[in-house]
Amino acid sequence: MFSLSLPIQTDRLILRTFERSDIDGLAAYHALPSVQRYVFTKTRDTSEVAGALNLMRGHVSLQRPGDTLTLAMIRKGDQALLGHVSLNWSDATAGQGEVRFCVNPAHAGQGFTREALSAVYDLAFDHFHIHRVFARCDGRNHHSIKLMQQMGMRLEAHYREHALFQGEWDEELHFAILDREWQRSTKVKDLPVRHRVA
Amino acid sequence: MAIRLARDLAIGKAGLAFVRPSGESAPPTGGGMSLYPTYPLRTQRLTLRPFTRGDVDAVYAYRRREDVTRYLFDTALSREECALAVQQRIGQVALEAEGDKIILGVELDGNGALIGEVSLIWRSVEARQGEVGWIFDPNYHGHGYATEAANAVLDLAFGPGGIHRVAARCDVRNERSWRLMERLGMRREAHFREHALFKSQWDEEFIYAILQQEWQAQRAEQAAT
Ligand SMILES: CC(C)(COP(=O)(O)OP(=O)(O)OC[C@H]1O[C@@H](n2cnc3c(N)ncnc32)[C@H](O)[C@@H]1OP(=O)(O)O)[C@@H](O)C(=O)NCCC(=O)NCCS
Repeated sequence: MFSLSLPIQTDRLILRTFERSDIDGLAAYHALPSVQRYVFTKTRDTSEVAGALNLMRGHVSLQRPGDTLTLAMIRKGDQALLGHVSLNWSDATAGQGEVRFCVNPAHAGQGFTREALSAVYDLAFDHFHIHRVFARCDGRNHHSIKLMQQMGMRLEAHYREHALFQGEWDEELHFAILDREWQRSTKVKDLPVRHRVA
Repeated sequence: MAIRLARDLAIGKAGLAFVRPSGESAPPTGGGMSLYPTYPLRTQRLTLRPFTRGDVDAVYAYRRREDVTRYLFDTALSREECALAVQQRIGQVALEAEGDKIILGVELDGNGALIGEVSLIWRSVEARQGEVGWIFDPNYHGHGYATEAANAVLDLAFGPGGIHRVAARCDVRNERSWRLMERLGMRREAHFREHALFKSQWDEEFIYAILQQEWQAQRAEQAAT
């Protein structure tokens, strides 16, 4: 039922699942302290990145609740790995999905993450029929906050000192958007290669 | 409703809004400690004490009511279910491990009636997080009893309990409950929409919270006036 047609093409990107050969591109950003909050396995140095890659290579579809789909953001042309976006099917009965995203800081600020997320939201709502997509981020991460707002998401929670993160009191924001609120981008709709269920 | 959140959201102010206050408490050094309160706890008009087997009828009087359970995870309870609930509560008097609950019966000193219950759950030992809850008999709503009892529970949590942050949650439509949270000085931290199903319908939920240092400052201010 959830057969996926990958890779997905956007204006400037190809979104595909991770491959063994992504190790160098991933090592370039995965172990950075600033991305540790948003990754699946903490990596203190590049030697630990192989484990993270292994895990993400298994994130190929959403078959059952708890599954994650992780897509590498590959730049058309030079095929550089810029970062990744993922969608976790966190709750089946209430149709909830959580997105996470990491971008190599060397490629931040050019709208790549937004472009990739738009495609992931289309996938979440139209293909997987998810009802609500949410994302969590550090309360001081202004880039993520701005991005979430650009995606049309609503700030639903602002937790202060509700947990510890790396030995410090944490501040966390939750953003969310419902299926009926998501504005499909015409650009993404033009894509020919996509299989749509809805 | 979401005015506070909306204000935080103003990206232009983000630089200010997200700066950490200089008077912020130091990061924690370790987990919380166990809490074995000495009962009963006394307030101006109330006595908070562990449940006893004799409480079943009084609990049934309010837990059987639809208007009381509308926004609770439980539905209205039968008398047998109440007896079971009371049995459970008898042992819920201390916090020893994560997830433990203290649930206390609230007695009105004037007539000795059991008028409701308040709870404190240890949500995280490492980050010293607690959650409070309350259910009162509608016959005793509107007199500030829930506020008075909840104040005593927060004093317990932040004082002897050494808890760093206490949260409370409720359905957005449960105005009595979130107004109580506001009377306690708690801040609305979350307004979730359709994030879950509640009694077969889309849920809309508020989460409120207050930090230990905020509570202590508020108590000091109250004492001064
Ligand atoms: C939530 C609940 C405990 C709140 O009860 P409550 O009676 O509104 O709260 P209090 O006992 O603090 O009383 C406050 C009211 O008494 C008034 N009051 C009178 N004397 C007071 C005093 N000395 N101090 C404070 N308030 C006083 C307040 O002005 C307020 O009145 P208002 O409701 O007209 O604004 C109650 O509605 C309840 O049990 N609901 C059902 C169970 C439930 O939903 N629990 C919460 C699940 S999240």
